[in-house]
Amino acid sequence: MTIKRIAMLAMVATAMLSAGPVGAQRSAPMPWQQDPFPSRYKAPPPDDMLLKGATILDGVGGRIDGGDVLIRGGKIVAVGKSLANPGVREVDAAGRWVTPGVIDVHSHDGTFVLPLTAIDREASDVSEVSTPNAADTWIETAVNAQDMGFDRALSNGVTTIQILPGSTPIFAGRSVIVKPVRAPTVWEMKAVGGVQGFKMACGENPKSWGAEKDNEGPTSRQGVVSYMRQQFIDAQRYKRQVEQARAGAGAMPPRDLKLEAIAGILSGDVRVNLHCYRAGDIAGALSIAKEFGFRIGAIHHATEAYKIPGLLREAGTCAAVWADWWGFKLEAQDAVRAEAPMLEQAGVCVMMHSDSPADGQRLNIAAAKAAAAGRRIGIDIPPERMIKWTTSNPAKLLGMDKRVGTLAPGYQADVVLWSGNPFSIYSRADLVLIDGAIAWDRSAPRNGPVSDFELGRGGARP
Amino acid sequence: MRMFASLIALAIASPAAAETIAVTHAEAWTMEGDQPVRDATILIEGGKIVSVTAAGDVPAGARVIDARGKPVTPGFVNAATQIGLVEVAGSPDTSDTSSADERNPGYDVSRALNGNSTLVSLARADGITRALIYPAPSRHAPFNGEAAFARLRDGVDILDTANVGVYTVIGGGAWDRLGSRAVQWTALRKALEEARRANAAPPVAEDGKGKKDRRGGPQGGPPGGGRGAGEDPIRGVIAGDIPLAIQTQRESDIRQAAALANDFGIHVIVVGGTEAWRAADVLAAAKVAVILDPQVNLPFNFDQLGARQDNAALLAKAGVRVAVGQAGGPIHANYNAGMGLREGAGIAVANGLPYVEALRAVTVNPLAIWGRGGGTLVVGADADLVVWDGDPLEPSTNAVSVIVEGRETGIRSRQDQLAERYKDAR
Repeated sequence: MTIKRIAMLAMVATAMLSAGPVGAQRSAPMPWQQDPFPSRYKAPPPDDMLLKGATILDGVGGRIDGGDVLIRGGKIVAVGKSLANPGVREVDAAGRWVTPGVIDVHSHDGTFVLPLTAIDREASDVSEVSTPNAADTWIETAVNAQDMGFDRALSNGVTTIQILPGSTPIFAGRSVIVKPVRAPTVWEMKAVGGVQGFKMACGENPKSWGAEKDNEGPTSRQGVVSYMRQQFIDAQRYKRQVEQARAGAGAMPPRDLKLEAIAGILSGDVRVNLHCYRAGDIAGALSIAKEFGFRIGAIHHATEAYKIPGLLREAGTCAAVWADWWGFKLEAQDAVRAEAPMLEQAGVCVMMHSDSPADGQRLNIAAAKAAAAGRRIGIDIPPERMIKWTTSNPAKLLGMDKRVGTLAPGYQADVVLWSGNPFSIYSRADLVLIDGAIAWDRSAPRNGPVSDFELGRGGARP
Repeated sequence: MRMFASLIALAIASPAAAETIAVTHAEAWTMEGDQPVRDATILIEGGKIVSVTAAGDVPAGARVIDARGKPVTPGFVNAATQIGLVEVAGSPDTSDTSSADERNPGYDVSRALNGNSTLVSLARADGITRALIYPAPSRHAPFNGEAAFARLRDGVDILDTANVGVYTVIGGGAWDRLGSRAVQWTALRKALEEARRANAAPPVAEDGKGKKDRRGGPQGGPPGGGRGAGEDPIRGVIAGDIPLAIQTQRESDIRQAAALANDFGIHVIVVGGTEAWRAADVLAAAKVAVILDPQVNLPFNFDQLGARQDNAALLAKAGVRVAVGQAGGPIHANYNAGMGLREGAGIAVANGLPYVEALRAVTVNPLAIWGRGGGTLVVGADADLVVWDGDPLEPSTNAVSVIVEGRETGIRSRQDQLAERYKDAR
């Protein structure tokens, strides 16, 4: 074992100790605060370095031309001009750009695993569709860590991914946040320190499923909304019973995994990511959140959020949007490419999201398209604000905005060195660091991650 | 009153049709050489390019479009898309992409083209002036039907040329109809053999139309008449009049496609061609062109395990003519037939395709591959061109003027109108 390795282990141990006392002081966690599938992620040994002379976008609106970033022990130590080198590897980044790692809050990697086969069409792991209420499911229990989508995302600068269940059920289950690193199971990829996410869906997807012969579930928008309210009412009762029993004032109800998850939404421990397109659907869902006293983290797809920015702003709900997915379904007719700049202008927390292993590789390009469309209607958002849409705003949704998504001292060093402007189609991720360790180096692609699936298949690699 | 209004509309419309346009201060990519003409004046008259001259004079009376030193290119051409056939993909009753007719699967997409589609106006706003429209799989695999070229002029009539090629699919899309691709290739070869025999037979005197008869088309008799999809047009393939497009992805199939081109001496196009880079030399030797999506670096199915974003660069280097089509996968290929194409060409450049080759892959090459000419700004060419506010392969660039057949077209899409309506919403 090298000295470097020992130092790293010591550091991890320190980090664990420092997390310990806080947890110990709290009373035993409520059932909806518990994680039956704990992370086994360990940051690799750090690659300390000083990136010199780059154009830096810090992720929260700041830009430094000809700036430096010092990375040590897995953290960002300093960001500024003419930083002194304390004796670490120096990387000439002149002409190149540095940003926080890209965060994709809407992925189905590991469950929508390419290549698809007839087996996937028969029974997909994207959604549990036996019931409109799959609140008890944890998508991580389906994730295939060998999905090469993780490798493609990483080599394009993505450092954090939220894997959501699909939008067929109304209550679709818990999400998982991962780092796109090679590992035998999802739990060696699972990021810590975020808020537990949850997926819900409104509109065409759940109602169309319900309307199909032999399927359970509502068949109309009004049916979907009423179904949601009834589940929240049931969960309110369940949550009260559990809390009273904990306080010694009544019997503990039989454990119900669905109600438990929804109780977590009501308590604020579980954060809703709501798939929703039309303005009316979004407004209706925000009313439900108000009625039951919780905050929806983000509306996903949010095709018509640009028509009602005030409602999202007042609710403190973000919008996770595409640049240019539109038209393919009825509720996506009114999509506009300029939605992100319009929402930004209106003061709504907005971010790009992918829903696709292809588009997830180019979230900054999605931002570039959105910004170009904004200019067509007189809204001009500069790069230092555009970068929020792929870094600090998604970090906020995941509850990780004190850890990732920003280049500032103390943050985890999830950092990308781009060959040029990250909003240019010609720019490539030259170096991708996760927790201050090189996870992708374009100058040595042979050392890059290759999933077990790809290994040794005749057609795959030269 | 209504008549008065339409007279005014006519008065406004007519001069536009006849007017002389001068695009000035252009970085004009004529596609003749590998470099643009700087500070060019491009003169357009009667729907044609009249001259492209550095610092050229502007004739009196010409309407001037100042390009402000920005790129001006031939109108981009999507080598494979289905705009004009699709509206709401999730609702099949708004889609005309495929034939469901068991008796007469012959399917000519040109009869379904809808220039009023919102997909068409957005593609035009993104700088597309022509597009190859292809049919989806039919019930008579491996034949899909007959492809057509659309020209994205204003209005409902966007047909440029019908029956520009026979479109087939081998592998995904044909599997559920015929089973093994061995059977698919056999079916295709059998149809080609029959067409070759029919072409070789002494011509039956029929209205004295000569060669036209061999290309098929309306031959009398009841509609359908029992012919199979592509059955008559495939005689045109054998005669060398039109290409045979084979949508296929796997290396083994791509080599089969090249062998087919050699065995029958016909013009074959591979569409998709995910693993074409592995057979680049064979394709070059058989003069088989490839229409591909440069974004693909993940296999959608097992036929695409060799997906690489430098596919275009490797093929071009080996001497294979490439064009961009079906760019961006199932949604973007149709809904963003312009932006997806440009993004794809940009990705090809980022992965080693020389810039000017990428421009050719979205202008000259798609037309040449489908047996058409044009896609340039040379004197005498059709005046289809786009004035950009930056590098057209950058998704952050907007088209500021799109000229089709010498007329400046509307580039305010429905999306622009919605965005303008709500831009001050707070």
